Amino acid sequence: MNNVIEINELRKIYQTGTIEVNALKGVDLQIKKGEFTAIAGPSGSGKTTLLNLVSGLDTPTSGEVKLGENYLNRMTGRELSDFRRDHIGFIFQSYNLIPVLTVQENIEYIMLLQKIGKKERHERVDAILEEVGLGGMAKRFPVELSGGQQQRVAIARAIVSSPAIILADEPTANLDSKTGESLLDIMHSLNEKHGTTFLFSTHDQMIMDHAKRLIKLHDGEVQSDETR
Amino acid sequence: MIFVKLAWRNVLRNKRRTLLSASAIGIGIATMIFTDAMMIGWKDLMIKNATSTFMGEAQIHHKTFREMFETEKTIPNHREICSKLNNEPKVKSWSSRTQSFAMISSAANSYSIAVTGLDPIKERPISKIDDNIKVGKFLQGNDKNSILIGHKLADILEVELGDKVVVTVANAESGDMSQEMFRIRGIFDFGIREMDRNMAFIPLCTSQELFGIGDKINEIVILFNNLNLKKELNLPFWSELKMKEEIAAESWLELQPELGAVLEMIDYSIFILGAILFLVVAADIINTLFMSLYERMYEFGILRAVGTRSLNLGKLILLESACLALISSVIGIAAGFVITYYFSQRGIDYSGTEFVSVSMDFVYPVLKWNQFVIYPIVTIFFTVITGLYPAFYATRMKVAKTLKAQF
Repeated sequence: MNNVIEINELRKIYQTGTIEVNALKGVDLQIKKGEFTAIAGPSGSGKTTLLNLVSGLDTPTSGEVKLGENYLNRMTGRELSDFRRDHIGFIFQSYNLIPVLTVQENIEYIMLLQKIGKKERHERVDAILEEVGLGGMAKRFPVELSGGQQQRVAIARAIVSSPAIILADEPTANLDSKTGESLLDIMHSLNEKHGTTFLFSTHDQMIMDHAKRLIKLHDGEVQSDETR
Repeated sequence: MIFVKLAWRNVLRNKRRTLLSASAIGIGIATMIFTDAMMIGWKDLMIKNATSTFMGEAQIHHKTFREMFETEKTIPNHREICSKLNNEPKVKSWSSRTQSFAMISSAANSYSIAVTGLDPIKERPISKIDDNIKVGKFLQGNDKNSILIGHKLADILEVELGDKVVVTVANAESGDMSQEMFRIRGIFDFGIREMDRNMAFIPLCTSQELFGIGDKINEIVILFNNLNLKKELNLPFWSELKMKEEIAAESWLELQPELGAVLEMIDYSIFILGAILFLVVAADIINTLFMSLYERMYEFGILRAVGTRSLNLGKLILLESACLALISSVIGIAAGFVITYYFSQRGIDYSGTEFVSVSMDFVYPVLKWNQFVIYPIVTIFFTVITGLYPAFYATRMKVAKTLKAQF
């Protein structure tokens, strides 16, 4: 299988006044297409930094991130934005959605940026809403949905433009276990059905249990890397 | 289109804040509309009062008369000019006058004044002497030895209506002193100190005899049919008059250049006021946009993370500032119209005040359609320009930093 993500000697040093914080200390990782990978570790272990660098939201102090055939450090800001739009889906812990847009508008936002026609957008939104179990809720605003429903919309938005990678930061953190499990089932089925690569940052044992690969970070270094 | 939708909904998201900001900007627009209307009313009143009180909208003299106001500098061929004025459709009315410096004496006192001889019948529609007579009456056609004096001059001379005064002038023909006794027929109050203390009016025929100028005159005062013509100096008869070597034909702007300067100053005042108001408005816009921006940092992070280009984020901020300006304009136009319309009907009382030797009364703000177009457009333009700073700030935000709380 091809590597979708290749991380080579990735380092990130944050400068806070005179203090230097080594958030990542030369991480090497390869993630293959279709993997369902969880990155676990205590607070301050470097999970956030790693996800930021993998998505091009932040720049490394040294090292490289290669997504497919593209080196992120060689891209301009505009190219990075377009790359994220076309190839990366995001699911955040909470407040994922734009509150002034309806469910439909939130999901089709990326397709609007991609200049996809109205008919196709609506067809894709309807299909994806059915898939995540939110059929008939297209016109609702985020505030009218429960936390679990909002996360489903976030998953729908992340998956709707068929990205190669989905990065999820603690997607079940603010949900009860039942809702979290059902959400995980949805992501699992999307991974199985579409072969989408998922990379989670998590504390949730349930996600760790479901992950096909579990990478543990400690003090900015990979402590263990277990494929099941 | 999605950014327009986003911008509009974002602006309406915090309705109270938007309403407060839009009201503040709207008040700025309303103030500009009202000030502009007020200044037009003020200028119109000044021009109207300056021209209708005594000066008229235009005057014809001997070319050098106004240099020293010498009575012997009479208008050559004035009958021919008067005949032309009679046939000129653009001229509403005109009147002949004579002028001389004089000494006026009562039993109690003497005072140096300017005496004007005027045709009582023709003068009535030209000036406001008749309207400003507080005691007594205006001159009649058959009056010979009646005089009108100002109330301040009456105080100096210690005279009342019906009292006798003697006017002494230098005869224009012989240079000798000429005297005539007059009975006070009316006492006027223009509210202009110079006129109320230093002027007196006598019948034209008496003045011609007293000044020794035969049937000649020193001044023709003109009113036009169309108010705008008072500024128009290109009328055929006007240029024809100006071609005559010994004649000076001048509009009110030339007769009272200081008034023109004041009117110009008023225009500058509006500009300065506008600039100050727009600075205040700009500060308000920047404050509102930045407050809204800081509140939505995380949201901007999400937008950037899912692929929104930084320039599009800047565009969103600019659109939000335009939406805010649009709401402000609606408020400003409505408030500006209501306030200005109210005062345009009721007027603002400035009576009893004098400005550049022009007596003021009720000022009526003048509504013009361009006030409701130009000021809102300028506001929208400046609001968007002001929005450039927060927009630029938004484009420079570090995405990871805005999402810090989450990743």
